[in-house]
Amino acid sequence: MTKTAVVCMEEVHKTYYLGETQIEALCGIDLTIEKGEFVAVWGPSGSGKSTLCNLIGMVDSPNSGNILFQGQEIILLSDEERTELRNKSIGFIFQTFNLMPVLSALENVMLPLQIRGVPSKIVREKAMNILDELGIVDYIAHRPHKLSGGQQRRVAIARALITEPALVIADEPTANLDSDNARKIIDLMRKINSLKGTIFLFSTHDQRLLDRVHRQIQLEDGVIVDDKLREKS
Amino acid sequence: MITWIKIGIRNLYKNKRRSLFTIGAISLGFAAVNIFGGFTNYMYTNLKQSFIYGQGNGHLTVFKKGFSGEGKIDPLKYLIAEAEMKTIRGFCMKDSRVLMVTPQLRISGLLSNGEVSTIFIAGGRVPSEIRFINSQAKGLLSENKFFEGKQLEDNITYGVGLSKGLAKKLGLSLNSGAIAMSPTVEGLLNALDAQVFQLFDSPAETLDDKLMIVPLKFAQLLYDTSSVDRLTVLLDDDKHIESVKAFLEQGLKQKGLAVEIKQWRELSSFYKKTKDMFDTIFIFIFVIVFIIVVMSIINTISMAVMERTREVGTLRTLGVKRKRIIELFAIESGLLGIMGSIIGMLLTLAIWIGIQIWEPTWIPPHITIRVPLEVYLVPGYIILSFLCLVVLSVVAAAFPARKAAHMSIVDALGHV
Repeated sequence: MTKTAVVCMEEVHKTYYLGETQIEALCGIDLTIEKGEFVAVWGPSGSGKSTLCNLIGMVDSPNSGNILFQGQEIILLSDEERTELRNKSIGFIFQTFNLMPVLSALENVMLPLQIRGVPSKIVREKAMNILDELGIVDYIAHRPHKLSGGQQRRVAIARALITEPALVIADEPTANLDSDNARKIIDLMRKINSLKGTIFLFSTHDQRLLDRVHRQIQLEDGVIVDDKLREKS
Repeated sequence: MITWIKIGIRNLYKNKRRSLFTIGAISLGFAAVNIFGGFTNYMYTNLKQSFIYGQGNGHLTVFKKGFSGEGKIDPLKYLIAEAEMKTIRGFCMKDSRVLMVTPQLRISGLLSNGEVSTIFIAGGRVPSEIRFINSQAKGLLSENKFFEGKQLEDNITYGVGLSKGLAKKLGLSLNSGAIAMSPTVEGLLNALDAQVFQLFDSPAETLDDKLMIVPLKFAQLLYDTSSVDRLTVLLDDDKHIESVKAFLEQGLKQKGLAVEIKQWRELSSFYKKTKDMFDTIFIFIFVIVFIIVVMSIINTISMAVMERTREVGTLRTLGVKRKRIIELFAIESGLLGIMGSIIGMLLTLAIWIGIQIWEPTWIPPHITIRVPLEVYLVPGYIILSFLCLVVLSVVAAAFPARKAAHMSIVDALGHV
């Protein structure tokens, strides 16, 4: 593991059981992700993309192997410790946004810091700033069902960024977006990546996104078949 | 915490219909338990009032020591002599909490209409003093006359009261003449003329064909004695029962008097049996109602957990710990309990007001007149119901919430 590595995976295996059927989702993954990387994991359905992201995001545990996050061995942490570390250091952008339907846009963005116990006044100010940067400050009082898909996506991004995480994991962030909006979202995330050094890890099929990342990791049948850097553009 | 309460309230509002049904079940359960509890409380209070004031039995009764043991077989061996009676009475009246001490003598014998005779048992009492005890009753006992005819008088020894069953048995009516016969304390046969001044309903059905009330002098004349078998003590407040009893026991013992003092509860088997029965029924109702409420809450929260599984997965991903997930659903469930209980309180109050306005009446056991049917508001029951329902609501959420909290995050996020 290098000094700037945030994520380090060593010989990681993950197996799922569907009834009596055993599925090898990941087979001996070795992977390092450095600070400031803008990475996409891609491959066909069932290749293990989601499993890889789940393991890095500490919402799942490997069957064997080792995963280090910011130098800490994740498998040695308790559920509470992993939960705290997720809240502090990882932001999540879900494909279906997964916003809390009973909270407004502002309240959804505030949630991760409120979970940590940060005073509401400070959280509110931070959330307003992020929503302003993302251009949806006029909709802070709206609940998710009153927001368009694009607006919900921006709220989801804001929620992922409010804790100033070391890593943001985004699942198909440009799905169902037209080219113009997809470009805007990617530009936004690249801006944050370059300004703050936040790692962005995407799980995607979208070629438009793949063309804009610095590094592409191709998965097939649970194995990394290609891992290449692209020229930064 | 405020964020979780806010989420809880909004989720309850989001599923208005389901929440309303659950709150409705809780409030109805609350009202049912408290209305029934209020009714039983009304019954207990009136039975107590009836025994202490209505029947003139007072709060405490002083007997000769051994009366309640061997005295049941041979009560005449346990009479309190006149001198002792005066000493006991004088000592009791020194306590400012004692309103009245009145002597009584229970007698039995044969009552005849001149042609046929039948067994009677009678309480020989001082009519004016019993009237005083009656007058201390609250509510309908002090407002109603529970006999036909006229009052017995201290100085008209031959004026007696008969239970309606006894009068009917002997074909007697008001102002009829009768003859009471009995052995004296010495064992000699004695008889006295009597006139029926009043007819009353017996407090126990089994005594209806044999019960009489007579002036104490009548009883003493028939038994040829100046003794009594008990002294009835009336207090200013029943909360003083224990302390006055202890005071009298100690004081009378110091005076060298061998007595035993019984509280009214020990002497009223009807009150005890009725209270035990209603207490048992109340517990049954309490348990059944609360089981139904708990099951309703478990159902509601289980449905909420199922519908919000993905939301739970998201919260866990964002950094919410397992116990906080349980807290979230426990808060929602607790809010249902609180809202249901508050509405239940209002419903109880509305029913109580309705009864006050409607003023229904009924004929309780052992009484022939219609009396108001009342329900009391019992603060103790209301508070206990509130606490139980809120606690049960929170606990009921624990089972489904725990399951949600321990679900795999990946499975929860993938839940459709």
